[in-house]
Amino acid sequence: MAGSGQAPLRDDPNVLLSIADLEIEFPVGKGEVVHAVSGISFDVAEGETLGIVGESGCGKSTVARSIIRLNSIKSGSVDYQGHNLASLEGEPLRKIRPDLQMIFQDPISSLNPRRKIRDVISEGLAVWGDEHGAWSQDRIEELMVAVGIDPKFGARRPHQFSGGQCQRIGIARALALDPKVLICDEPVSALDVSVQAQILNLLQDMKERYGLTVLFISHDLSVVKNVSDRIIVMYLGKACEIGSAEELYARPRHPYTRALLASIPEPAPTVDVSEGDIAGELPSPINPPTGCRFNTRCGHTTDICFTDEPMMQRVGDADHYLACHHPVEIAVSV
Amino acid sequence: MAEVQLSVRDLTVRFPTERGVVEAVNGVTFDLEKGQTLGIVGESGSGKSVTAKTLMNLLPRTAEIDGEVTFEGEDVRKIAAEGRQHFWGVKMTMVFQDPMTSLNPVKKCGEQIAETLRYHMGRDKKTALAEAVDLLGQVGIPEPAKRVDQYPHELSGGLRQRVVIAMALACEPSLLIADEPTTAVDVTVQKHLLDLLDRLRRERHMSMILITHDLGVARGRCDDVAVMYAGRIVERAQTETLFSDSRHPYADALLRSIPRIDQPSHTRLEPIPGRPPELINSPVQCAYAPRCRYAQPDCLDSIPAVQGVMGTHEFACHHPANTDRGREALAANVAAGRNAAGLEVIGYAGGN
Amino acid sequence: MSATITPDAIDDEVAGAVQKTLGIAFWVAIAWIVIISLAALLAPVLPIKDPHAIATGPPRVGPSMDNLFGTDALGRDVFSRTIWGARISLAVGFLGIFLGVVVGGALGIVAGYFKGKIDQVVSFGFFTLLSFPALVLALLITASLNRSLLTVAMTLGILGIAPIGRLARASTLVFAEREFVQASRVIGAKNGRIIIRELLPNVLIPMGALTLLGMGISIVAEGSLAFLGLSVEGEAISWGKSIVDGSQTRDLDNNPHVAMFPIFAMFLTVMALNFAGDRIREYTDVKETAF
Repeated sequence: MAGSGQAPLRDDPNVLLSIADLEIEFPVGKGEVVHAVSGISFDVAEGETLGIVGESGCGKSTVARSIIRLNSIKSGSVDYQGHNLASLEGEPLRKIRPDLQMIFQDPISSLNPRRKIRDVISEGLAVWGDEHGAWSQDRIEELMVAVGIDPKFGARRPHQFSGGQCQRIGIARALALDPKVLICDEPVSALDVSVQAQILNLLQDMKERYGLTVLFISHDLSVVKNVSDRIIVMYLGKACEIGSAEELYARPRHPYTRALLASIPEPAPTVDVSEGDIAGELPSPINPPTGCRFNTRCGHTTDICFTDEPMMQRVGDADHYLACHHPVEIAVSV
Repeated sequence: MAEVQLSVRDLTVRFPTERGVVEAVNGVTFDLEKGQTLGIVGESGSGKSVTAKTLMNLLPRTAEIDGEVTFEGEDVRKIAAEGRQHFWGVKMTMVFQDPMTSLNPVKKCGEQIAETLRYHMGRDKKTALAEAVDLLGQVGIPEPAKRVDQYPHELSGGLRQRVVIAMALACEPSLLIADEPTTAVDVTVQKHLLDLLDRLRRERHMSMILITHDLGVARGRCDDVAVMYAGRIVERAQTETLFSDSRHPYADALLRSIPRIDQPSHTRLEPIPGRPPELINSPVQCAYAPRCRYAQPDCLDSIPAVQGVMGTHEFACHHPANTDRGREALAANVAAGRNAAGLEVIGYAGGN
Repeated sequence: MSATITPDAIDDEVAGAVQKTLGIAFWVAIAWIVIISLAALLAPVLPIKDPHAIATGPPRVGPSMDNLFGTDALGRDVFSRTIWGARISLAVGFLGIFLGVVVGGALGIVAGYFKGKIDQVVSFGFFTLLSFPALVLALLITASLNRSLLTVAMTLGILGIAPIGRLARASTLVFAEREFVQASRVIGAKNGRIIIRELLPNVLIPMGALTLLGMGISIVAEGSLAFLGLSVEGEAISWGKSIVDGSQTRDLDNNPHVAMFPIFAMFLTVMALNFAGDRIREYTDVKETAF
């Protein structure tokens, strides 16, 4: 998988966010380090929804949180409108924050249990002077209605609301700063099935209404397909495959992507169920395999897979990039 | 027609709480045939886990239980009252969502399995341990002789769950209840675990009750599926029937609200508005009516009785989906713009 | 046209929090605390005997119409001395814990939020304080300074810094990892604002309940100091000193009332504080979810 390799970076004037060769590590004592993200490159164009999908330990959440510097970044750049977020510190970093907001995974834990929800939602405005972008303190009620929370409940506290409602409150909080980019870290994973659809629809509505660019992180392949224009598949800190949602699900070429699609309870029609039978366990991120990180479990390996990291390469003319020494061939009519 | 192994009649479970009595399970009735896999699908608060725990005698003492549960001809509630020791864990076992709740963090994995064998089956130490190694192999754990001496925290989530399955199957039960066994694991691990359960089930001629909130899992792995809502079974059918020709509006709405991989990107989802009801002092009406697109005045007056063919396709609804009666009700609501409970109702994209 | 049903249209009433009451026993406890505090405050103007005046009645005599709680060895009125004793005991209790909470709490929160070097230094400080035998510390302070009310309170306060500080630090460590704190950072709030608006209410409110419990501990601690002769000096009256006065073996055998009344006063007050603190802790223990 692409250690270095900036092939997926598109030459597009509409690109809003561009991440190049991002590397993130976490120390874990005894001088050892978790290689959470090891050289990923991608970009997001304005108005696009980019989905990042993968299983636990792949680094998708870490990537998302690093963009807004909730983690420290070892190396690489995060370019947003001419600023490199990876190298900004202090006040300059803080000033950019309103542009990039986040929705968290656990809706209830993401709200201060001791504050009224109206205060929680308007916190951003309170920080930045009661007015920011399109919103102001007197228009908070409008924002609450937009996300489906009755303003008359503004004085209540988070524990008086359901998970779905708490997530709406979190969305309102993020939108109050009129951001350009909304990063959603598993926003529906903790919610009941029937509520997930409410929130997904809401996110889509908000995106359209307020012209947002969205990064959507999830482990759920169906959800990711539903919300995304483009998708990145990650494994053990690397990007395997990047492409438009339709392209990726119709013509997946990386063995890991295919394994994922074959493993879901109602497998995608474009892969064979047996492709989900990948052997073994996830290797340790402290000592990831050399060469292609998927080599311990892939059924198509040859010698080169154990020595050389595959670089990201474009597949034909399509919006489809792949890091694999032996991409799976696709029959023409699928 | 295979023999009935488990028979549940009018099971009702109530919990007294500070705010009132919660009716977690309300008149649940179903049969399970020997060798069958029944999926129970529902969201939080539907009563599916409480039902499972009732079967396994795992409820707190404050629970008030009514109804009959018969397993292989024996009255399970009587067995519970007698305090019989070698029933649960032997004839009927359970696997939970989080393996760490079933595994003792300070005991080696092999020892925990061996313990079950010694206690229930009277094996001696050496034999029990040897059988434990064998069981670990059967559940697909590589190098079982090594793993037997490891502690739970040394294993990954998927492997831990396999250990739990090994523990559950050690005494060769005839019924396995799995409560969200794969919810906490990744999708590739989920497939392996569900494949494993399928294989073990067939090899041991075991029946299984698979509880899940994931409709896809139910569809792929179960013979029959029962959908629970607010403590009741609102529909039960053979799997394909449920997914292609459901009757209860909740089941129908649930199927429409989940994103599917065969849909194009950005397909608008049809969410179910509102939230499941409080289970305290529930009014005498259909619990789903406030959220139901089909709801008519009679839905607010009485609890719908179960109709249909028991064991093939049953449902409890006054105006079921995919029937003429239901279609009329829906059309009336769309025309009026609201259902009988005042919920706004608009036509779906693509009709119906 | 697809269904865009307003999701919360059918919710009239969001599920309310469980209506918890503090309970009648709580209010009784509060009533006692208020009564004893008022009595202490108003002691100089209350129509009670001069606590220092000797021979207000026959010495070592039990409760009578003249002396409600009886008299001590010097004929001083025990009732009056008990009320006057409350002044010092409660003041010590309040001031002592106040110092512990303010200083210990602040240090603990800062250590838990910033972690790293700051945490190492503060934790080492706590560790050192905790390793110091309490009595030695009390002796050191009172020997080098004086034994005024302020000094005694300060001693107890210093002893409270480390335990309270560690509690505050542990609590802060937990909350600082919570997503709502990260959310504040993402919004662009500065550290100061995050600590004050997000962490403080969560860390301090449970600590407030412990403050009441801590007051109880301080009051009893003053009693211990009195037994070692380390409580307030001179003529000043505290419950501890009164108990010591009345605890000569001869007195305990023959006229136990001299010690018993201040003992009861201390006992009731500490119990009331414990109970109230506990009830507040339960009451403010916010449930994380209603579902």
